Amino acid sequence: MKKQATTYRKSFSLIITFLVLISVTFIIALFVSYNLNVKYVENEFDSKKIDVQEQTIKPYNDFFQNKITEITSYQGFLDSATAARYADSVFHDYNFVKRIVFYDVRIGNQKNSTLIKNHLGISIEEMYQFQPKNGKVDGIRIWNTKGETDFDQMAAKLGNYIAFSDTTRASTQDEIFRTFYDVKSDKISFSNILRKEDVKILRELQKHPNSASFAKQDMMTFFLDPYLLEVKNTHKELYQQVSIQPVVYDQPDNPIGTRVTEVALPGAFSDYKLYFLSGPDYLNAEIRRRFMPIVAMVLLIYCVLVLIGWLIYRNLNINIKLFKLQYDFINNFTHEFKTPVSVIKIAGSNLSGDSELTERQRKQYGRILNEEADKLNELMNKLLSFTQLENRSIDIKKELIDVDTFVKSYVETFRIKYPHFKITADIDNTGIEPFYTDPVLLGSVFQNLMENAYKYSHPDKKQLEINVRGTKKHLSFSFKDQGIGIEKGELNNVFKKFYRIENQYNQNGSVGLGLAFCKELVNFMDGDIIVNSKVNEGSEFIVTLPYEN
Amino acid sequence: MLKRLKYFLFICVPIVLSACRHHAKPIPIIDFFKTPEKVAYRISPDGKYLSYLKPYKDKQNIFIQSLENGKGQMATMFTDYSVRGDYYWTYNNEIVFFQDVIADDEIKMFALDITSMKVHPVISQKNVRISIIGRDKREPDIVTVRMNKRDPANFDVYRLNIKTGELKPYLVNPGNITQWYPDADGKIRLVRESDGVDETILYRPNDNAPFKPIIANNFKTSVKPIAFTGKKNYFYALSNVNRDKSALVEIDAETGKEHRIIFESANSDIQDYSYSKNTNRIELVGWDEAKPQKHFLDNDIKNIYDKIDHELKGNEVVITDRDSAENKFIVFAYTDRNPGSYYLYQRSDCKLTKLGDINPSLKQNELCEMEPISYKASDGMPLNGYLTRPQGSKMTNLPVVVIARDGLFGHTGWGFNPEVQFLANRGYAVFQVNYRGSTGFGKAFHSAGFKEVGGKIQQDITDGVRWLIDQKIANPKKIAIFGGGFGGFAALYGVSFHPDLYNCAIVQHGLINFFTYIKDAPPYFKPMVQMMYERVGNPETDAAHFRAISPVFNTAKIKAPLLIFQGARDDRANISELNQFVRELQKQNGADKVKYFLKPMERTFFKSQANRMEMYSEIEKFLGQNMRMKN
Repeated sequence: MKKQATTYRKSFSLIITFLVLISVTFIIALFVSYNLNVKYVENEFDSKKIDVQEQTIKPYNDFFQNKITEITSYQGFLDSATAARYADSVFHDYNFVKRIVFYDVRIGNQKNSTLIKNHLGISIEEMYQFQPKNGKVDGIRIWNTKGETDFDQMAAKLGNYIAFSDTTRASTQDEIFRTFYDVKSDKISFSNILRKEDVKILRELQKHPNSASFAKQDMMTFFLDPYLLEVKNTHKELYQQVSIQPVVYDQPDNPIGTRVTEVALPGAFSDYKLYFLSGPDYLNAEIRRRFMPIVAMVLLIYCVLVLIGWLIYRNLNINIKLFKLQYDFINNFTHEFKTPVSVIKIAGSNLSGDSELTERQRKQYGRILNEEADKLNELMNKLLSFTQLENRSIDIKKELIDVDTFVKSYVETFRIKYPHFKITADIDNTGIEPFYTDPVLLGSVFQNLMENAYKYSHPDKKQLEINVRGTKKHLSFSFKDQGIGIEKGELNNVFKKFYRIENQYNQNGSVGLGLAFCKELVNFMDGDIIVNSKVNEGSEFIVTLPYEN
Repeated sequence: MLKRLKYFLFICVPIVLSACRHHAKPIPIIDFFKTPEKVAYRISPDGKYLSYLKPYKDKQNIFIQSLENGKGQMATMFTDYSVRGDYYWTYNNEIVFFQDVIADDEIKMFALDITSMKVHPVISQKNVRISIIGRDKREPDIVTVRMNKRDPANFDVYRLNIKTGELKPYLVNPGNITQWYPDADGKIRLVRESDGVDETILYRPNDNAPFKPIIANNFKTSVKPIAFTGKKNYFYALSNVNRDKSALVEIDAETGKEHRIIFESANSDIQDYSYSKNTNRIELVGWDEAKPQKHFLDNDIKNIYDKIDHELKGNEVVITDRDSAENKFIVFAYTDRNPGSYYLYQRSDCKLTKLGDINPSLKQNELCEMEPISYKASDGMPLNGYLTRPQGSKMTNLPVVVIARDGLFGHTGWGFNPEVQFLANRGYAVFQVNYRGSTGFGKAFHSAGFKEVGGKIQQDITDGVRWLIDQKIANPKKIAIFGGGFGGFAALYGVSFHPDLYNCAIVQHGLINFFTYIKDAPPYFKPMVQMMYERVGNPETDAAHFRAISPVFNTAKIKAPLLIFQGARDDRANISELNQFVRELQKQNGADKVKYFLKPMERTFFKSQANRMEMYSEIEKFLGQNMRMKN
């Protein structure tokens, strides 16, 4: 028989396609992320150099912005001793300062000044040179002050400022920088910044050309050594080696795959650059280091996807089973219907076949027809109630059952249905108390157990022994057949839904629901069902029910 | 029931208590610092008119009020530049006044004819300073002016005819003459030469003779001539030559020798005087003790003052102008709680009429009294100062703001001070002290402050604060120090070296570096350099001391919250240095603890009303934040 096309389908090719697809995606993801990672690291190699430069140049900036300007605070009143102390603090904090030349400058009406502008001479009064020596400062006075180009240039700027700056407004930062600073390669000259009031006073001084007085000004030239700057490689993972090199430096003989980048140094160090170098494997190691977490991530996602796929597959499987259950359920009930229908059919054909009916026959057929019609009605009720039972929404319609009549009616029914099915019923009426239950539910139990007894017996050994015994509290029905029996290991499983032992007796339309349904019903009626069985000898199902449930 | 009552008491008692401790209602900041409404009252020589300056469209203009019919009218309508405060009545009912056209650096002189109310220009000169030094009753159209037309550095004296504008040179300045003393005939026979520090008094017997020096002073002594006595060639002067405190003396101009002492005070320098041209006599002399003091040398004037004093009890009274007949007087009266009111006093019927208030929006009874206090410094030096307590019943355990004066060698006197009143109104007691070095208390006290910057001068302030704490006036946990210029230095020094004493400091155009202070003395100006070195210190020999006291070198010591105001166009400030100072402090203490207001268009003192209002509201906020904690 061809399987129905409407049932759920399992497609292994679909599953495999899915697995292949996500595996391919996994590989592509790894590949793309690796490439992106390489790009990223290479970009970082080019961009993070600014951090290194910033950190390396920090002391210089601090020196330039804070330490140098401290000279201004002395307002020109630095003398050799104070200057030496100042120089000492510079050497102590900024080791890249190699040497300081201090010019104690006079601005006044001096005829022999280095620079004379608008009657105002700017000349060196004293000149000292300071150098660090064994952690102390070593100062010497320089007597020959001729030809000091650093001083001359600064003096020229200063002279211009005094002569031309606009005292009605504040000088801009730019003007101040251009006048009081002179930043050259490896050296910075600075003279104390004049206030507007100072400029006014100096201009007044010009009006007293014969006065011997002078204003004091301090000027210092700091000689710096870029190689003494401490390189702070804050990105050791990117840069194998960072060094300070002249701006023209280039090393062509690097092994292939070496990455090189550079960044210029500012201010007085503008002739130098920071030169960053990483060997061929150095960056690869970093790339790998960064790639590992990505791999782990992608792998994790892959696993999660596979897991989700499996879960979907499992759910589908369960759905298939549920579908089947529904199908088998209908099947099962159709059979239930078949029995009374066929009895009616036989009774009907007997009625039409027998030309004359005895009074006894007529009554018998009438009773049979009546009874079977009732059974059909009950079955329909049962069908309805089974769904209700599933939902636990059934109402038990209790009524007093005459056990004797009830059992006998089933025996009679089965005798008519299966003429060579030998059923014996032994009802011990002595111990039976009045028994109340739902006859439809109990009928279903009988129907199932008797049907099973018939089904799972050898054709020549179709026998069933029904014993009904009463105790004080319970009424027990035993159904003992001579059938094929159940293996010991399966005894616990027979009441499970959809469980059935594969054999030749149940190939047509059995779903393994009968016993499950029975157990469900019995439990619903607050009773119990057990089974004793021996293979090839037969099984005994014992249903125990309370008198009133 | 009892429990209820208890509960009721619990709620009510604090309410009642807080009601007792009432604070005056806060007066809007603008009321303290607004520009005065009517100022510079003058009376015409004939006593028929009053004149005053009043803003019209934000510019000061001259207003005339007739005393005969009480009618007032606006005489000038300048909307570009204000009329300068120094205007004069001539003896024939004209007003001469100046207008300073700052943009062109031009000074225009005008004359206003009171009968026709017409203004006509007299002269206008570019790049020249000009001012009136004298008028003459006999030649009412001629005024004596000084002008630096010939040499920008020196003023010459001219006679100017205001009717024709004719300018006749009268006295050519040989150099450095800063003051001229016309005698009763309008002739100049006595002059004072000054380079700003050293002074020389010169005398000539007549217009044709050359001037010859008679007295020479350096910055430690001073002789201030007043006028010739009319007897021989004697002249009145305030002099402290050969004595500790300035006294009113008579000096013989021929020799420069002191002839006699007219009046001297045991405690203070005589600083004020009133001279009557009519009688050629000094009418009174004035000096500062705890409150301004007067001594009358003329009974007529004493009677007038007595009468006015009687009517204006509690006020300090000054006669600022009078008519030629000496019948009508313009009287200026002020107190610590009143910036000043003008009155007209008529001698004939002893009538005193109020003309106007300088700041009518301030109510005297809402302001706080400035009590003179005195205490001894830790080395025993007696010191004088002032304490202004906020209104209210609470007199002890007050939050205190110490105001350190800007002028290092200046003087704090009794009188109305808007800053002090503003702070007192906001609930702070304000403490001011004349630390050693202050002027007005004699030479010895003044020179006691020499080279004591960051030393005993600061100690005097510290001792004052300790004294306030000992007297239980100050809450020792709520003390702020506030000052501009040198006061700013004192404030920064205070929080650096006495961090336990002050909660916070407010600094206006602060002096952060004493090298800078010294540098204000131009090098060619030897006496000034000398004076600087002697008073403050020599930057070369005392460099270590300057370094030790200058806040710019001691940023690490400053931990207290700071509020700093600075105008970017302040000539004396080194803005880049200050910026760096602030930056370093902000880095060290956190930007929220160092508030810095650098106003690009301002000079030393904030001129813009908006900036000033912002400054004082910031001060109020800052003090509120830093003085509220730790009750």
